[in-house]
Amino acid sequence: MLEEALPLVNLDSEYLFSELDSLGVTTILMLLSDKYDIKLDSSDVTPKNLKSLESLAALVERKIADK
Amino acid sequence: MTIEDHIWQNASDFPGKTAIVCGGESCTYEELKRRIEEKAGELSAKYPPGRIVCLRAYPDIDFLVTYFALHKACCAAAPLEKDIPEAAFERISAEMAAHSVPEGTADILYTTGTTGKSKGVIISHRTIIADAENLIAGMGFSHDLAFVVNGPLNHIGSLSKVYPVLMLGGTLIIVNGLKDFDLFFGAFDYPAGKFATFLVPASIRILLQFCPDRLAELAGRMDFIETGAAAMSQSDMEALCRLLPYTRMYNTYASTETGIISTYDFNDGKCVAGCLGRPMPHSFFSITEKGLLVCGGDTLMTGYLGDPENTAAILRDGLIHTSDIGAIDKEGMLHLLGREDDVINVGGFKVSPTEVEDAALSFPGIRDCVCIAVESPITGQALKLLVVTADGEKPDWKALARHLKTKLETYKIPMNYGLTDKVCRTFNGKIDRKHYRNNG
Repeated sequence: MLEEALPLVNLDSEYLFSELDSLGVTTILMLLSDKYDIKLDSSDVTPKNLKSLESLAALVERKIADK
Repeated sequence: MTIEDHIWQNASDFPGKTAIVCGGESCTYEELKRRIEEKAGELSAKYPPGRIVCLRAYPDIDFLVTYFALHKACCAAAPLEKDIPEAAFERISAEMAAHSVPEGTADILYTTGTTGKSKGVIISHRTIIADAENLIAGMGFSHDLAFVVNGPLNHIGSLSKVYPVLMLGGTLIIVNGLKDFDLFFGAFDYPAGKFATFLVPASIRILLQFCPDRLAELAGRMDFIETGAAAMSQSDMEALCRLLPYTRMYNTYASTETGIISTYDFNDGKCVAGCLGRPMPHSFFSITEKGLLVCGGDTLMTGYLGDPENTAAILRDGLIHTSDIGAIDKEGMLHLLGREDDVINVGGFKVSPTEVEDAALSFPGIRDCVCIAVESPITGQALKLLVVTADGEKPDWKALARHLKTKLETYKIPMNYGLTDKVCRTFNGKIDRKHYRNNG
């Protein structure tokens, strides 16, 4: 899903946050919010949470658990 | 007086006042003047007067120092997208070096042309001052204001805000985009009496969606927000006014070719979408019989670099004939209704579909293609590339996107891709863009 929406981004990167621009960050937030029906906001946008696909997955899992 | 003369004056009047803040770095007016002087000395030794010098518009103090130093060294500055591919940077630099510029030229700003190729817009020192004075009169920039710039400094939207701030001895805070919300909001912790910023509608959409509470916390400090470059929805305008009820909200008409022309404070209780207000002191406008906007005044470009034909097509009798369809109401306010040409506006970045198509056609296996606009919840419009392949099979979209990245700036690269049987064309072989506009 993210691969299709962000064709220029190397999603396997260990430095994902540095690969993204503001539109990329927003795209990720919107897609994950919609797909997993979770609420993501600006406080979730930290270099740590967006470091890699694994850290993103962990963020989503935390949000689902908090629902 | 040039903008550099104003910086010199402020270095004398307010030497210890902070001029620019960026990340952990800041510089006073005195330091800014010294750094520009030193850099200008280096550049003078390297380039003859009148030379056009390209530079990448990194969002930092060094970029602005070099930009002003080029002016002091009697060169013209040509700021380019910070992530422009190296080959394109080299090509444009070589092209620019071959041209001479009219006396009084300050900058060459690269912009998307309606015919596909980017054009170098010649901006004079007089234009810069007229833009600054228009902004000061139109929006109330002041000496005690800290202005947060978060957009690309090679675009008129952000670059033009540097002028009134440094002209009045205010403070400029540079933030690298909106990607890190903490950094953006952190800029407003700077010890200043009041703040202002420029946000394209897409950035406002992002802030409204993901951090309305943090935006609302700025209510007592935000003197004004300026937007422009793309249409903003009525609902976003109203939401922003609700969050920041005491902040002036300006929707501005400006373009690289026309300069800063008019503005409208939509936090006026009426909140009229598409309204761009009355002309500012240095500007005037009218609407042609065909409904197109014509602009005049001191903020206009001098012309396109080395392109008299395209210059004559848009700049006639001292007036810029735009492709914007507009109307002027009884109160003299400008309203924008759309565009006459094929340019696609992606969150304030204007993209000519032809340029994208030309780049895509050089990808192996692509026989034909068309770049169209699709709706985006954030940027209003986004790019989609429909391709016809030689074997009818889907190409590797990621590889295609990366191929485009070697040729184009990032904002010109489509986010969406699709396969099609054929590209619809008109009787004379041109892409039938009307068909794609009507059918998506």
